[in-house]
Amino acid sequence: MELYRKTAAELSGLLRKKEVTACEILDDTLARIDAVEPRIDAFLSVTAEAARAKAREVDEKLAKGEAVGALAGIPVGIKDNICTKGLRTTCASKMLENFIPPYNATVVDKLNAADAVIPGKLNLDEFAMGGSCENSYFKPTKNPWDTERVPGGSSGGSAASVAACEVPLSLGSDTGGSVRCPAGLCGVVGLKPTYGAVSRFGLVAFASSLDQIGPFGRTVEDVALLFGAICGADLPHDATSKDYHFPGMDADLKGLRVGIPREYFGSGVSEENKAAVLKAVDMLRDAGAVPVEISLPSTDYALSAYYIISSAEASSNLARYDGVKYGYPGDRKGTLNDLYLSARSEGFGPEVKRRIMLGTYVLSSGYYDAYYKRAKMLQRMIAREFTDAFEKCDVIATPTTPSTAFKLGEKTSDPLEMYASDICTVTVNIAGLPGVSVPCGFDQKGLPIGMQLIGPKFSEAKLLGVAKHYETAVGGFAVKEL
Amino acid sequence: MEIDVRRIAKLAMLKLPEEQVEAFEKEFASIVAMVEHLPELESADTLLEPDNQMHLRADEIVPSYPRDAMLQNVPKAIAGCIVVPKTVE
Repeated sequence: MELYRKTAAELSGLLRKKEVTACEILDDTLARIDAVEPRIDAFLSVTAEAARAKAREVDEKLAKGEAVGALAGIPVGIKDNICTKGLRTTCASKMLENFIPPYNATVVDKLNAADAVIPGKLNLDEFAMGGSCENSYFKPTKNPWDTERVPGGSSGGSAASVAACEVPLSLGSDTGGSVRCPAGLCGVVGLKPTYGAVSRFGLVAFASSLDQIGPFGRTVEDVALLFGAICGADLPHDATSKDYHFPGMDADLKGLRVGIPREYFGSGVSEENKAAVLKAVDMLRDAGAVPVEISLPSTDYALSAYYIISSAEASSNLARYDGVKYGYPGDRKGTLNDLYLSARSEGFGPEVKRRIMLGTYVLSSGYYDAYYKRAKMLQRMIAREFTDAFEKCDVIATPTTPSTAFKLGEKTSDPLEMYASDICTVTVNIAGLPGVSVPCGFDQKGLPIGMQLIGPKFSEAKLLGVAKHYETAVGGFAVKEL
Repeated sequence: MEIDVRRIAKLAMLKLPEEQVEAFEKEFASIVAMVEHLPELESADTLLEPDNQMHLRADEIVPSYPRDAMLQNVPKAIAGCIVVPKTVE
């Protein structure tokens, strides 16, 4: 049986009816990984042994008639910036090439409690900084729809592994679009939850006020299943996590107002992407929704605010990598200063250094007011504009990315062009809102296009409900044959 | 605007090889030019989000991670201590 084609919900049903075992699901997953990894390169490590132990545990529970968790026996890939106790966690960086976390991230503990099976760790742009997965120290991941193209980033491995049916579910992290953009470019569903909905404990920090862990799946139902298992308060560990329980998807679409912000349909976005999103909105209208034109005037400045705030936080967060306690050991024969300098200069890749430099600059004496303070003021303004917009509409629909997947190497020499890939997604992180990307068609080259749906804080039930309605209306999302 | 990238690198504790300074200066200037695209804003508001308060945990003694576990990734440790280059003569 080709189990790898099945969704998490289908696998769960088969397992509970005892038509399949967790070990059989895992065997099929590992065989699929073996078969397609040479073309996709989504995994940084395959953790077959630990996964097998968990699958056996699930099968034993089921054999004894014991209760099992919501994700029992379901393979879930984990982005390699999420700590897994005893399993190497590299952040796709030379700096953490041999780092073995002594603890689990809270989301990993929650997956274990839900009886999920973790078959491996997934590739990313180094320290989640990038939009193509090409900034990985180890290898670039390829887009399953065209292996000469990027899967998007930074959670490129998470998106590509789901799109290539290596796993039905995966976790990524989203600081400025790092779940939604690769989901859009790989034709899968990706949710960036409300800031505080999911614990960040054990997620290697990039920009702490913007980072959020989010799920990928091939269907909206699967994404909702995984989100429900990982959300909620984690007060001993994450002071920003909220006591939030996902009630399941809203079913009613009648009278739903869908905001169309004109600023997201301007010259920076391809005609094909705009047209596909507007066509999707038409389908929602046919199902009872009401499109409303809205304006989010500060969008034009959002990219500046994002790169100032995220780089400032990154420069501070990444100061911990000094070669002393963990990570790339550097030159230990000279002075302490030599150790710091060599560990950081040899351990970090070029994009990470660029962001640390930018963050250091905008926080440095004499520049703080001009950059960081203004960016933080703009952050408040952007958040207010969203609050006002949600007086006029219930959800907002935009393209997820300005274009479809670009070729490997096409933008690596121009950081600014790469940064512009985040133009449609950064505002959601700046305002702390939830956003989901769903596939909404293909361009002329046959590459997937994503539609982003944005809602008010903690509106995941509505957001995923709307996404589900759309998925049903189009008869489900296409899966690439490999 | 001229940006002293050598100074920024020093503050960031990163080596910037001399042969890379010119190219990096140019690239860095273009990135700074991009992020300068910000409106003039005046606000007496706090920069923190008022409705996004953090929960502080109780100030109480709880077990910490075992020392051995926390030292397993240290490049060099002796007798439970992290070894670093000598800083005091």
